[in-house]
Amino acid sequence: MAYGFNMEMRNQQEWSWLVAMDLCLGGLGGGLFLLYQVFDLPRFIALLSLGLVVLGGVVLLSELGHPLRAWRAVFRLRTSWISRGVLFVSLFLVAASLYLASASAAFSWIPWTEGTPGARVAWFVAGLCAVLITVYPGLVLSASAGIPFWNTRLLPLLFLTHSAMGASGIVLLISPVHAFGQVLPQIESLAAILIVVNFIFVGVYLVNMNHSGGAARESVRLLNRDSLGRTFRIGVILVGMILPLFIVLWLPSATGLAGAFILIGALLFRYCVLKAGVYVPSALVGADTSKLKPISVDLLREFAGITTPRP
Amino acid sequence: MGSGNGKTPRWGMAIDLQRCTGCQSCTLACKLENGTPPGVFWMRVLEKEEGVFPLAYKMFFPLRCNHCSDPPCVPVCPTGASYKRENDNLVLIDQDRCIGCRACVVACPYQVRFVAEGSEGYYGEQKTPYESVSYRKWQPGTAQKCTFCVHRIEQDLDPACVQTCPTKALVFGDLNDPQSEIAKLVREKSHFQPRAELGTDPSLFYLT
Repeated sequence: MAYGFNMEMRNQQEWSWLVAMDLCLGGLGGGLFLLYQVFDLPRFIALLSLGLVVLGGVVLLSELGHPLRAWRAVFRLRTSWISRGVLFVSLFLVAASLYLASASAAFSWIPWTEGTPGARVAWFVAGLCAVLITVYPGLVLSASAGIPFWNTRLLPLLFLTHSAMGASGIVLLISPVHAFGQVLPQIESLAAILIVVNFIFVGVYLVNMNHSGGAARESVRLLNRDSLGRTFRIGVILVGMILPLFIVLWLPSATGLAGAFILIGALLFRYCVLKAGVYVPSALVGADTSKLKPISVDLLREFAGITTPRP
Repeated sequence: MGSGNGKTPRWGMAIDLQRCTGCQSCTLACKLENGTPPGVFWMRVLEKEEGVFPLAYKMFFPLRCNHCSDPPCVPVCPTGASYKRENDNLVLIDQDRCIGCRACVVACPYQVRFVAEGSEGYYGEQKTPYESVSYRKWQPGTAQKCTFCVHRIEQDLDPACVQTCPTKALVFGDLNDPQSEIAKLVREKSHFQPRAELGTDPSLFYLT
């Protein structure tokens, strides 16, 4: 990646669509498993959540410069949120698979059948890891001290609520082809609540960042202009929040469409957050350069070859 | 080179902003010494216009890895490929362990880490003889950055940028050695560390 030679504020260029897709798929998978647990949804929903998390991992692998070395990514659990994320995902896949196996007739021979302590432990570990999978991308980003827009504790919470909203969107999307029965109105209500909550959280986040000034304010400015601004306002706010809320509240026959809109917004939200990550500027940007001493006569004489340079 | 007081050395650099003329000699010397791929500049001099006509002037700001004492790029690395060498405070990258996740590139507030995407040279697939030799050092898809010319330090030589600077704006040495030139400059001249408020304790000092 070529960087410029001008002192100006710039956003990070390294993480883009693929990372946004990974964060989105992982978050949706984790959130969907939580909905499966809370609302006792059909087992195929849990399988779908597993598939989404695996797909997110595959997308992330394709983004890596050296995917064959990815196994090394668990070596810094003490300091790296990426390492911890890999652990959460791995544990989730194992625990969720063990739990689903316990509830499956095809695996009736395993010792931890449904209702046994083993199955309950797997259920609990899978649920805990699902929560952590939804939160850890926010923790990865908020660990970046050089990008004030990300360096806030609000971000992990935003990722959690957005993941839950996206997961409810998946259920709504599936609802036209699968009858969820009495659970569907509850999911619709949850989706509406989560849309409003996310709308408020995003508003608080942006106002907070705008008042922080400097690079954080520049991030907010990026989200309000040009193509990223259009993506955010139309994709995240209008398509991802306002339209699905309208449909869920007043057009219940089109909940599938609301689900699709929520999913589009979920992906674009991650993309916008990533692309709006503006670095703190180089030390001299915005600094009072008048305090720097003017070039001295001695130095000018040295440069002109009149006096000998310092040894 | 090395610490003269028995302490482990802490290699650092002082950059005299008054002396820097923005000639980019250091940028080119770095590219020649380390043979970095196209678009990758371990060392570069940023420019900024100041003042208004007729008193407008340009300011120059050499930028490179700060070899921070508390580097934000190291803890985010999931593999340990980015590490700080405890015996001399140099922040280095083990390319064989790097998976190319770019977490360190994003985490560095100074934007001085790079990932070379491909193995192409400045003239496309057909590399010059120099490129075909020098690019063997770099694995595409892994992070890279200024090493303070560690291979030269180990031969008691100054980094290439320091040796090349025609105005002697760059001074390299052991910050832990009170007798070293850099320690004296930092002690005696007004200076600042870039974005010290982030708590990274850079080993770079801009003399003002």
